[in-house]
Amino acid sequence: MIGVELSKLFRRPRTWTTIAVLNALPVLVAVLVRLTDLAPRPGEGPPFLSAVLTNGALYPLAALAIVLPLFLPIAVAVVAGDSVAGEAQAGTLRYLLARPAGRTRLLVAKLVSVVAFVLVTVLVVAAVGYLTGTTVFDVQPAAGTSVSGTSLTQEELVGRTLLAIGYVTVSMLGVAAFGLFFSTLTDSPLAAALGALAVLVASSLLFTLDAASPIAPYLPTRYWLAFVDLFRDPVLWRDLTRGLALQGVYVGVLLAAAWANFTTKDVTS
Amino acid sequence: MTPVISTRGLVKRYGRIRAVDGIDLDVRAGDVYGFLGANGSGKTTTVRMLLGLVLPTAGEVALLGERMPRAARRVLPRVGALIEGPAHHGHLSGRANLALLDAAGPGGSRRTRTRRVQEVLEQVGLGGVDRRPVRAYSLGMRQRLGLAGALLRRPELLVLDEPTNGLDPQGISEVRELLLDLHRGGTTVFLSSHLLAEVEQLCTRVGVLDRGHLVLQEELATLTAPTGATVVHTPAADRVRAVLDGRVLAVEGSRVVVRGADPAEVNALLVGAGVPVTGLALQRPTLEEVVLAAAGSSPDRVEGAR
Amino acid sequence: MSARAHGVWWRWGAVGALVAVLAALPAIVGALPASDAAVPAADLRDAAVGSADVGFSGYAVSAGGLRLPVTQQLTEAADLFSDRTTMRVWWRGADDHRVDVLGAAGETGVHRDAGGTWTWDYESSVAARGEPASLALPSPPDLLPSSLGRRLLSEATGGELTRIGARRVAGRDALGLRLVPAEPGSSVDRVDVWVDRATGLPLQVEVVAAGARQPALDTRFLDLDLGVPPASVVAFTPPADARIVPAPDPLSAALDSGRSSPAVQLPAALAGLPRRPLEGVPPAVGVYGRGVTQLAVVPVSPGNTSGLRRALHAAPGSVVGPAGVRLAAGPLAVMLVETPDLRAFLLAGTVTLDAVAEAGNGIWRLRPS
Ligand SMILES: Nc1ncnc2c1ncn2[C@@H]1O[C@H](COP(=O)(O)OP(=O)(O)O)[C@@H](O)[C@H]1O
Ligand SMILES: [Mg+2]
Repeated sequence: MIGVELSKLFRRPRTWTTIAVLNALPVLVAVLVRLTDLAPRPGEGPPFLSAVLTNGALYPLAALAIVLPLFLPIAVAVVAGDSVAGEAQAGTLRYLLARPAGRTRLLVAKLVSVVAFVLVTVLVVAAVGYLTGTTVFDVQPAAGTSVSGTSLTQEELVGRTLLAIGYVTVSMLGVAAFGLFFSTLTDSPLAAALGALAVLVASSLLFTLDAASPIAPYLPTRYWLAFVDLFRDPVLWRDLTRGLALQGVYVGVLLAAAWANFTTKDVTS
Repeated sequence: MTPVISTRGLVKRYGRIRAVDGIDLDVRAGDVYGFLGANGSGKTTTVRMLLGLVLPTAGEVALLGERMPRAARRVLPRVGALIEGPAHHGHLSGRANLALLDAAGPGGSRRTRTRRVQEVLEQVGLGGVDRRPVRAYSLGMRQRLGLAGALLRRPELLVLDEPTNGLDPQGISEVRELLLDLHRGGTTVFLSSHLLAEVEQLCTRVGVLDRGHLVLQEELATLTAPTGATVVHTPAADRVRAVLDGRVLAVEGSRVVVRGADPAEVNALLVGAGVPVTGLALQRPTLEEVVLAAAGSSPDRVEGAR
Repeated sequence: MSARAHGVWWRWGAVGALVAVLAALPAIVGALPASDAAVPAADLRDAAVGSADVGFSGYAVSAGGLRLPVTQQLTEAADLFSDRTTMRVWWRGADDHRVDVLGAAGETGVHRDAGGTWTWDYESSVAARGEPASLALPSPPDLLPSSLGRRLLSEATGGELTRIGARRVAGRDALGLRLVPAEPGSSVDRVDVWVDRATGLPLQVEVVAAGARQPALDTRFLDLDLGVPPASVVAFTPPADARIVPAPDPLSAALDSGRSSPAVQLPAALAGLPRRPLEGVPPAVGVYGRGVTQLAVVPVSPGNTSGLRRALHAAPGSVVGPAGVRLAAGPLAVMLVETPDLRAFLLAGTVTLDAVAEAGNGIWRLRPS
């Protein structure tokens, strides 16, 4: 079942188009920064973008930071919103369920395939970011500097970059779960994706609002940027662990709601 | 013998609409069951309830002797279905679509998959289909591909909702031959349709649905059994009444209906009296007459308030 | 009830129960009771003031509600009191510690050693070396609950202190100590310091201005690990590609203008507050008061006067008097005094508007000696 869903997702041209578009932005930013030599001022712009001017090997992180606030969640919302509603709209959902695929298994397989999409996307962004960074900028072969000003060995840098990739992937799980849940509510993939995006926009907005500070720790986007904490020295685990737990809670609750809805729903599409 | 499909008091309400209102289906092994009903009478809703897609508001469904939707995982692999037209992933080829569908559920061995896919494609007349994506298929090809999907696991029961929609006359007749062939091989067929002719040509049993009510469920042979009257065609219809006084039931132009289940006897009487007889047959009701008598006007009609 | 309605009911019921449990968890954890102890206020104060050598590492957040009218040089110090500042700290001693102010995309680390401080700014890749000074603008380490609590309690008298129960801070039992300043003209209504029962470390400090209900400043630890952190974490060596500069000191300009300005003898008391003796500070610069009630007087160079005047006039709530313009922001009062002989002084401190006006008049009446 999971294999079937993965094969459906990755044999679809649209999936690869999305990933390609997602990579275009960091590449464009790299070229512009190189040509103009204008790094963002401190406190502005995505994390790590000023650091790549001295070490291009950090560009995978800057690329992740560039796509993280908007591009990546949009892609995830679209793919997750399409997961069940897309099958309903195409009419293939009824054949899957009559096969029978089992509604709970189908949901889990869909979630797994969305997670696989996120992971592949993030890996491709990081890989393309590395290639871009090392061709466009100068590279320091020896090591890098942590956010705290200590030096990191090459192994530490690679290890922490891999952890950051994992963390960014997990950060997207909340969006994916919202998309999947909405996808079981409607037969329109567009409506489901827009619903997930609306949650994101609301969360980002509330995060900037002082009046919303009591609920800020529970907003799905609250700990997204915590992957920067992996590059402090010593690593600051506080927000990272909270981010993981929060995404876990969102996935758990939304998957349960999706299951409650989908397993008792009339499939009339 | 356990019925292949049996429902008891099956009801489905959509808000205030009762799409299906208390039907008791009874389909037996070896039947080709024609599920007749006008558009909007609740056929598709019933089929979806049989397959566990729509959950009944009330009533029970048993498929191949097991309760649905509880036993879906055991029962449905033995059932092939075509529900309200075919649906596929447009960007994949027909073969890929069938392979994915087969892999999506239990009971389809991966080893035999390629062979089985090729077999069903040949069965429905798509054996030579290339790697084009389904997006590029004609309506008829998609319908055949849908049928292939239903046949993929050699099901004991085929549930087909309007299977000849979108097919040309040759296609319809090919499908009919295919279904009869499968039936001879022991497959039970449940076929819903609004086309009387299709059901009349194919089916051994008929159920008639009218606005959610099952108004008739009977062997086709019983429904169209001789009525005990003989139909006489003669250019001298007025003289028949004189010869067979009291036995004439109806006269419509040159067609006279006469009581008596023995055409030979009627013929002998008429010829003996010098009445020319151009045609002679036992009277059988057509399915159309039976259905119209049982069901009212089409539920699609929306009458204005007067 | 049909089987379907039943299935819907129990499934959504299970989801609802899951959500309810998860939503209640933070409230339950937050409501864990703190255990109080019968420690007298004076003992608690002594424990807090003597806690400078307790080693720890932790994570602290300070939230300030002060909206200060600022000029260019003062932005960073003013931000400390108006924003939410998130800090990580490793504390080995009063002159051996590290405090990082965390930003979304970087951090600013202050590493204190015996000879001074290294201030590392990641985003601009600058390491600045500074010397310890007897008078300096507030910097992030001053906002740590432990440092701030010690400073505010250090000059408190027994009569100003009362005990106010206990609460849990950073997962530890903290005993409350309330300081109500006895000084005339103080704008601080009270300072609540929550002191760790075991070590005496102040864990949370709330400063409430007179007439306010929300604290003007609330700084607290969210995580705290006792134990001396390794020296390697606290030490700092500038990275090879960093730019190394001397630390900028916004006060030095003011101090320089104080040195260059014609000799002025600041009065021994202003608005009833006695002048404090300070080392290494020119006579034109003075600090008055005691404990949480303090007022600083700094001469302003002629080049900066008009900008400061404009900023103060533009700020909402500013009051213009004969001696100059004054303004209150929370417990902080600021006044720009321009004397008839065209010299200017900035007065700033935790006093009421009336007290700062009285002090301003005192300055205004000064004549060069
Ligand atoms: N999802 C639905 N929501 C509301 N009403 C529906 C829905 N599906 C079908 N109906 C109504 O139920 C009735 C039966 O529909 P259907 O089973 O599709 O009939 P048929 O297949 O015989 O044409 C129709 O009146 C239709 O309007
Ligand atoms: Mg239909």
